[in-house]
Amino acid sequence: MHELSIALSLVDAVCEELPRLGEKVSIRRVLLRIGPLAGVSADALACAFEIASSDSPIAGARLEIEQADGRALEIAALKVVDAAADC
Amino acid sequence: MLPRIVEVRKNVLKKNDLAAAALRDRFRAAGVCVVSVVSSPGSGKTAFLETTLALMRSRYRTAALVGDLATECDAERLRRSGAPVRQITTGTVCHLDAEMIERALDGRALADLDCLFIENGGNLVCPASYGPGEQLRVVLLSVTEGEDKPLKYPTIFNSADIAVVTKIDLAEAVGFDHAALLRNIERVRPGMPVLPVSSRTTYGFSSWMALIARRIGDAQPEPTPVHIDG
Repeated sequence: MHELSIALSLVDAVCEELPRLGEKVSIRRVLLRIGPLAGVSADALACAFEIASSDSPIAGARLEIEQADGRALEIAALKVVDAAADC
Repeated sequence: MLPRIVEVRKNVLKKNDLAAAALRDRFRAAGVCVVSVVSSPGSGKTAFLETTLALMRSRYRTAALVGDLATECDAERLRRSGAPVRQITTGTVCHLDAEMIERALDGRALADLDCLFIENGGNLVCPASYGPGEQLRVVLLSVTEGEDKPLKYPTIFNSADIAVVTKIDLAEAVGFDHAALLRNIERVRPGMPVLPVSSRTTYGFSSWMALIARRIGDAQPEPTPVHIDG
């Protein structure tokens, strides 16, 4: 439940970035940094992210989790492709 | 076209953090002391708040927000103290976040309050990451839960300011080892103040009331500074 709420916040936070990434981009990967004190289970979050993102503009994006320090819970980077190139 | 990597560096809970910061500003401007209470289900949050509100009634203007998955039971119990109480039913969500608090406070004047209590759900894992903008976070654990709780749920003990040990009137009956609990708290959060109380007998509440009174004093808007020369 807890990770699902965080996954939904994560999807919102990534979607907020979309306008500045250019037109018709697709997000391939979301690189997330999680600290041991963030109170978040990486496995549960990865599972929740699939569900939370499935019906969103970033559907299909994969979550990559990297260990960080302290309470960190931040999106470090996004791997993006221009959707037009895919056609 | 090759994929590109865009650096973002953005806190996932930024929206909650921003909402919590806005709430904190609002609480500060209104001079209201906001205390949140977290614990696992059945630790005695509602009983603790019932006694707290009853004891504060004659001296302070208090109010409470209580979060639960369903029902108005807790709110009804707390309303008997005479304080205004709002229940937030969270549905399937296990915590209160800053946005829910903001919605629940909608339209409520805060300046006529000295102290607002927020009963934040019933688990020790989740509210650890979601701050609702409180000034004092109290984690409750009852003597019936076992002395090892702090070791099992270190995150909430790390993020809380004070630990209140409830149902101390049952300590003997359940063979509660107070020294072991203090050791365990010290291991996860060195220096954390620990307050044993009984909401039924009001044991320990004079210390708790003194602490709240200090916090309420601290929350009052700063008077205009007066400069004294010499």
